Amino acid sequence: MRGARAGRAWVGIFAGVCVLAGLGSVLVQARAQGAEAKVAAKRTLPAVRMGPRRPPPVRAPAPPPKAPVEKVEADVSTRSVEVTTDFTGHEILVFGAIDNSQQPDEKSGYYDVVVVVEGTPLPIVARRKSDVAGVWINTSSVIFASVPSYYAIASTRPVEEIAGPRVLERLAIGFAHIKMTPAPGHRWNYTDYELAAFKAAIIRLKQKEGLYVVKAKDGVTFTGRSLFRATISLPANVPVGPLVARTYLFHDGELLSAHIARVTLERTGIERVLHNFAFRDPLSYGVLAVLLAVLSGLLASAFFRRQAR
Amino acid sequence: MNIYLPIAEMSVNVFVFLGMGCAVGFLSGLFGVGAGFLLTPLLIFTGIPSAVAVGTGSMPILASSVSGAIAHYRRNSVDIKMGAVLVAGGMVGSLIGVGIVKILRQLGQFDLFVSLSYVTFLGAVGSLMLIESVGTIRRARSGQAPSARKTGQHSWVHGLPFKMRFHRSKLYISAVPPALIGAFVGFMAAVMGIGGGFVMLPAMIYLLRVPTSVVIGTSLFQIVFVMATTTILQAVQNKTVDVVLAFVLIMGSVVGAQFGVVAGARLKGEQLRFLLAAVVLMVCLRLSWDLISRPSEIYSIGPVLGGI
Repeated sequence: MRGARAGRAWVGIFAGVCVLAGLGSVLVQARAQGAEAKVAAKRTLPAVRMGPRRPPPVRAPAPPPKAPVEKVEADVSTRSVEVTTDFTGHEILVFGAIDNSQQPDEKSGYYDVVVVVEGTPLPIVARRKSDVAGVWINTSSVIFASVPSYYAIASTRPVEEIAGPRVLERLAIGFAHIKMTPAPGHRWNYTDYELAAFKAAIIRLKQKEGLYVVKAKDGVTFTGRSLFRATISLPANVPVGPLVARTYLFHDGELLSAHIARVTLERTGIERVLHNFAFRDPLSYGVLAVLLAVLSGLLASAFFRRQAR
Repeated sequence: MNIYLPIAEMSVNVFVFLGMGCAVGFLSGLFGVGAGFLLTPLLIFTGIPSAVAVGTGSMPILASSVSGAIAHYRRNSVDIKMGAVLVAGGMVGSLIGVGIVKILRQLGQFDLFVSLSYVTFLGAVGSLMLIESVGTIRRARSGQAPSARKTGQHSWVHGLPFKMRFHRSKLYISAVPPALIGAFVGFMAAVMGIGGGFVMLPAMIYLLRVPTSVVIGTSLFQIVFVMATTTILQAVQNKTVDVVLAFVLIMGSVVGAQFGVVAGARLKGEQLRFLLAAVVLMVCLRLSWDLISRPSEIYSIGPVLGGI
C-alpha cells in the first residue's frame, strides 16, 4: 500500500487531477493577485493622508503623490528540472527583490518573506491500523481528494510568528494550513478530531519520506536591503509534475505582496521514453520486459556454458 | 553509484540491488525455486513501493529461471509434458489472482492478505520440509536405507479421470492434480509476487510422487512460462514493471544462479530441503513478527486506486 498504480482508471484520475491542478493554480494566482491589490489599496490610503497638504484644487485634481508601495518579485534558478537516469534530487534557488524596500539593512528583520514550493495536488488514501485479535489490520481509511504531492516551505522565521492563523490558513502557508479536503462521502464518517489525526498522519508520513520540508529559521535570507534568497532541495523521490513557487512578503503580520513562479519537473531522455512506453502501450512494454528477461537469461546461460568448457 | 528508476520514481544505489539480485539468483539456482518469496520482501525493505516490487520481481525470477531451466534441460531433467499441464493451470490461476489483487488493493487489505498468505504457506511448507528432511538425514546417518519409492503405490490421486502418461517422470496419473497445482501456483505468483516453487516442489514430490531428479527442472519450466504471463499482466493491469530495476536485479541474479546450480549439484536432496526449510521458516517468522508486534506507525498513506 505504500505506493501503487491501478489500470486505466488511474490514468483517468491523473488526467482529471491535472485539469483540477491547472484550475487550482489559476485560482491561487488570482487570489494572490487579489490579495496583492487589496494590500496595495490599504497601504495607499494612509500614505495619501500623510502627504503634503495642498489647497483644494481649482481645476483638475492633481494626481496623488506616489506612495512607496512594496512589491515582491521573485524567480526560480531553474525553470525546468530534468529527471534523468542519474537524478538524485535537485536544489532550486528561489530569489527575489523587494521594490521600494524600506528596511535599513538585511539584519533589521523589517520584512518577513515566506517561500512555498508545492507539487501537484493528488488524491490520497490514509489508513489506520488497529489490533484485531492480535493482528494489526487496516480498519479505517479516509480518502482526501487533493493533497499536495510535495510541499516545501522556507521563511525568515517560523511562520506562526510572521502572521496570524487566519492569514496563514487563507494562503495555505505552513503544514497546519495545507489544503486537504476529505473526498465527498468521507467527511461525515469521522469526527473532526479523527480527521485531524488522519491529516497529522499524512503530514508526518510525508515528512518522513522527505516530501514535506520546512526551513523555519533563516530559510530565507536577505542580502542587503531588498534582495533575498531561499534554497529548496527537491529530493530524489519528488513526484514528477509541475511545481508552483509562491513568495509572500509580510510586514508586521500583514501581507504586502505575493508572487508566483512555476517550475516544470519532467522526465527526460531514456526515463521519459520508458515511462511513456509503460503507460501508453503497456502490452508491448510487458512483452518487451519478458523478452529482456528471457534474452538476458539466455545470454548468461550461453556465456557460462562457454566458461565451463 | 545511483540510478533513477522510471516506474518506481526513485533514486537507488545500483550495487545494493546487484548484490540482492546475486543472492536471490544463487538461491534460485540452488533450490530450483524462483526465490521470489525473498526478493519481494527485500525490495520492499529497501523502500521500493510494494506494487512495483511485486510487479518487477517476476522479471528477475523469469531471467534466472530461464538459465536454470536450460541448465536442467541440458541435463535432461525436465518433464516437458508435466510442465505443459502445470503451465496451462498456472496461466488460469494467474488471471484469477490478478483480479483478486485489484479488489484487495482497492479495499486496502492487500498487504495484510499477502502477509497472512506468506505466513501460512511458508510456515506450513517450511515445517513439513524441515521434519521430512531431518528424518531423512537421521535415517541416512543411522545407516538405514532411505525408503524407496513404491512405483505401484496407489492413492486417491490415481483414481481421478483424464489419465496421462508422463514418461520422463515414470508416472501414469490423472492430469487434474498437476493442473490444479499449477493453477494454485499461478494464483500465488499473481497475489504474492513469487515463483511458487516452494509450494510446487513439495506438492510434486509428495502428492504426485514425481522423481526428485525431474522435479526442479520441471518446476523451473513452469515458473518460466507463468512468470512471463504474470509480467505481462502486471505491466498491463498495474503498470508496475520497472525494467531498469529489473535489469539491475537480473544482472546480479543470472550470475548468482550459475553458482547456485553448481552448488546444488554437490548437495544431497535432503540437505537442500533442510536448508530451504530453514530459509523459508526464517522469512515466515520475520513476517509473523511484523503482523503481531505493535507497529511504530499505525497510519499509512497511498494513492487512491479505482477512483474516489
